[in-house]
Amino acid sequence: MIATIPTATLTGVDGRPVTVEVHVSNGLPGFSIVGLPDASCRESRDRVRSALLSSGQGWPMKRVTVNLAPTSLRKGGSGLDLPIAVGLLVANGDLDAEHVEGMAFLGELGLDGSLRRVAGMVPMVEAIAAPIVVVPATSAEEAGLVGRHEVRSTSSLSSLLGALRGSGPWDAAVTTPSSVASVTADPDLADVRGQRLGRWALEIAAAGNHHLLFVGPPGSGKTMLARRLPGLLPDLDRDEALAATRVHSAAGQPLPPGGLIRRPPFRAPHHNASSVSLLGGGTSAMRPGEISLAHNGVLFIDELGEMAASTLDGLRQPLEEGLIRVARARATVAFPARFLLVAAMNPCPCGDGGPPGTCRCSEPARQRYGRRLSGPLLDRFDLRLTVDRPDVADLLGGQPGESSEVVAQRVLGARARATARGVRANADLPGPGLEATVRLQAAAARVLEYKLRVGSLSARGLHRVQRVARTIADLADAPDVTEDHVCAALELRIGLEALEGVA
Amino acid sequence: MTALPPSAFAVALSLLPGSTHRRLRALLGGRSPAPDPAEVWRATCERRLLDVRPELVDALGRDARAMTKRWSECAKSIDPHQTWAELQRDAVGVWLFGDDDFPAALTDDPDPPALLFWKGDPSALHRPAAAIVGTRRCTSYGVDVAREFGADLAAAGVAVVSGLALGIDGAAHEGALVGATGGGAPPVAVVGSGLDVVYPTRHRRLWKRVGEAGLLLSEAPPGAIPEAWRFPRRNRILAALSGVVVVVESHERGGSLSTVRAAVERGIPVMAVPGSVRSPSSAGTNRLLVDGVAPATDVTDVLVALALEGVQVSAAQASPRTAAPDSSDLGPVESDLLAAIDWAPTATEAILRRTGLSIVEASSGLVRLEVRGLVRKQGGWWERVGSSRFARERDYTPPA
Repeated sequence: MIATIPTATLTGVDGRPVTVEVHVSNGLPGFSIVGLPDASCRESRDRVRSALLSSGQGWPMKRVTVNLAPTSLRKGGSGLDLPIAVGLLVANGDLDAEHVEGMAFLGELGLDGSLRRVAGMVPMVEAIAAPIVVVPATSAEEAGLVGRHEVRSTSSLSSLLGALRGSGPWDAAVTTPSSVASVTADPDLADVRGQRLGRWALEIAAAGNHHLLFVGPPGSGKTMLARRLPGLLPDLDRDEALAATRVHSAAGQPLPPGGLIRRPPFRAPHHNASSVSLLGGGTSAMRPGEISLAHNGVLFIDELGEMAASTLDGLRQPLEEGLIRVARARATVAFPARFLLVAAMNPCPCGDGGPPGTCRCSEPARQRYGRRLSGPLLDRFDLRLTVDRPDVADLLGGQPGESSEVVAQRVLGARARATARGVRANADLPGPGLEATVRLQAAAARVLEYKLRVGSLSARGLHRVQRVARTIADLADAPDVTEDHVCAALELRIGLEALEGVA
Repeated sequence: MTALPPSAFAVALSLLPGSTHRRLRALLGGRSPAPDPAEVWRATCERRLLDVRPELVDALGRDARAMTKRWSECAKSIDPHQTWAELQRDAVGVWLFGDDDFPAALTDDPDPPALLFWKGDPSALHRPAAAIVGTRRCTSYGVDVAREFGADLAAAGVAVVSGLALGIDGAAHEGALVGATGGGAPPVAVVGSGLDVVYPTRHRRLWKRVGEAGLLLSEAPPGAIPEAWRFPRRNRILAALSGVVVVVESHERGGSLSTVRAAVERGIPVMAVPGSVRSPSSAGTNRLLVDGVAPATDVTDVLVALALEGVQVSAAQASPRTAAPDSSDLGPVESDLLAAIDWAPTATEAILRRTGLSIVEASSGLVRLEVRGLVRKQGGWWERVGSSRFARERDYTPPA
């Protein structure tokens, strides 16, 4: 007899519908799975067998063939355990087919028959067409985020069979949080003493989504500042939240209570991260990288100058397009990767280089360090500023600055102005027609003209300075961009020669 | 085959591994009359150098036998005709120690080079000369001063001698090139590598311009790469050619101090440009001043040391001792900002702290000061500009 159970599998961060077909026939007892299963999928044979036996079900002394359709699609992960088990019971006549009518199943089985969470629940459930989705109790919340299906859950195979046959209850709709994510609030900007320029740059970055680079010696507070950026960003709207959650779900990352990621994620990969871990990919399963986990949030790279040049240049395309296409022999997937890039670096390898003329590095060492950062990448940073070690007076007696809450309110206002212009933030303002959108006053235009003529501003930098100036004006609630705004935008964009170590 | 001049064989000898200037001097001198370089070369090739001149065993040091053996092997791959032809092609001349045209300043030197490669205008050496040296890791203050001194000394007819290194050396030559136009003295560069090996590569253009306007000198044979040991030796030639050595900026243990040592050994006066006591790039020069070296605060000080105090630097080019640009008609914000900026690089953060201005006010004020040529931004650092003569090369007056 034959049974078909709808379910789904994960490719990259996208779910793909899969039908599990189970055929039980007379013949030499055996169990085979066909249809491009990967290793974890093939192992499901042993898990399903033990789980059925532990749940008081018999194992058919018959020939069992499981086909995963469409057969051309590679299937991975242990989420197919549950649909295979259910299909087997139906095909063997232990469960009436009408009991599973209109239901899709997703979940991993333990040897004792318990149901376990699998990664990628959100995108997989999204791909399912059946009206009812049955998932492990620990995944119910995550599965419910999609909102299109009736989500049913139990915590073990035996209670599931009881519920399906109508002899037992389903779990209550709301279950315990799928995982205990650390619920730490974002660090507050009020902790930063002094650093007026740095704080202000954070505010502008948050308001206009401008990529930000801090250059400064160790101990100058670059990392401290950068970690306070997510706290200034507005909450994610539902689409953004779902997009971020989908990536985290697919990567098997812990989700916050409630399942939905409402705050912009903050990812800080170490500078020795490999290209694959940063950009996504992998051999067996295509996993999203750090830049995708930072989708709709902040990607913070400390010690930018220590990162491999090839890895860094991999960031250029996603910075431009907001997604990354990872192509491998087995599959090509596109991961979403629209993030706010914040980076910190020392001015030179010795890190001591404060003012020009003080660093101890040899000339070749500094050139090597500077060469690692390609010009095109550095050009993507709208805001580039040097931070120096804070003043002693500020550290000991200074007044605490504004708190993140106060600044976040201004950021929200500036974002609203950008939304009125039809973009999410000013960094997305299109190049054509920029002058009209930015509304430069005559004096402001003269400053830019001066900078262009003396050669301290490039044509490419011009647009970026205009966008930043627009954000500064938005934060000040000014309709036009004045000379002051442009000068401030220029102040927050140090020349590249400072990074090439030319003292 | 045309007969080669003796110096062609001296060049070939200088290409042998380990043929330092002392060994070369031993090979080419040591008795009177001086041996013919062609004879020495032949003896080297035929491995009978020590048989012909047994006194060289002492001069060449402990492993003289092994060395001459190695030389005879290496000599097979050196063709004096070819190297000489290449020098002719590149317009590089060779002076042998003891020749009539060998620079007089080096003839009496305690440790003279055995031969010197030169390119350009040898008459540059007939002028009074001043060396301007300093650190590669300099501040823009150092660059300004070096340029100014270079330009004014050249204009006053003093050949500026320097090493074409990054930083102060290069700035001095840039200035000297400005001063050399219109009747000034041509610049002289003494480099550590072969004359066909441009180092640092960033100075390729400057190297070429100095070669065209003045004189390039090197003790190293063609093709010699800039090995670290060559530079202190280069410095002794640099000092010996000069009537005074001016150190513009030097770190505590900077390479320019080896030039100072060489100058002191030869009794050549040394001068140092004072810098901020807080600036690491001036630590070495300030230490020299403490040790009793004369300060050089402007070009007249240097001219006095050269006993040229009568020479008038042309009025257009003379830089008065304090040539701060006019800052009398500034607004209150700009005055505050200017007062808050040091003559050393100052972080924007520090400016904000000192003035208490908002970032927007301060940054527009700073840009106005920059447009006026009163301050300059380097990386994220602001500093005041002294003499505006070389401060900004591309001047632009914004429409009012």
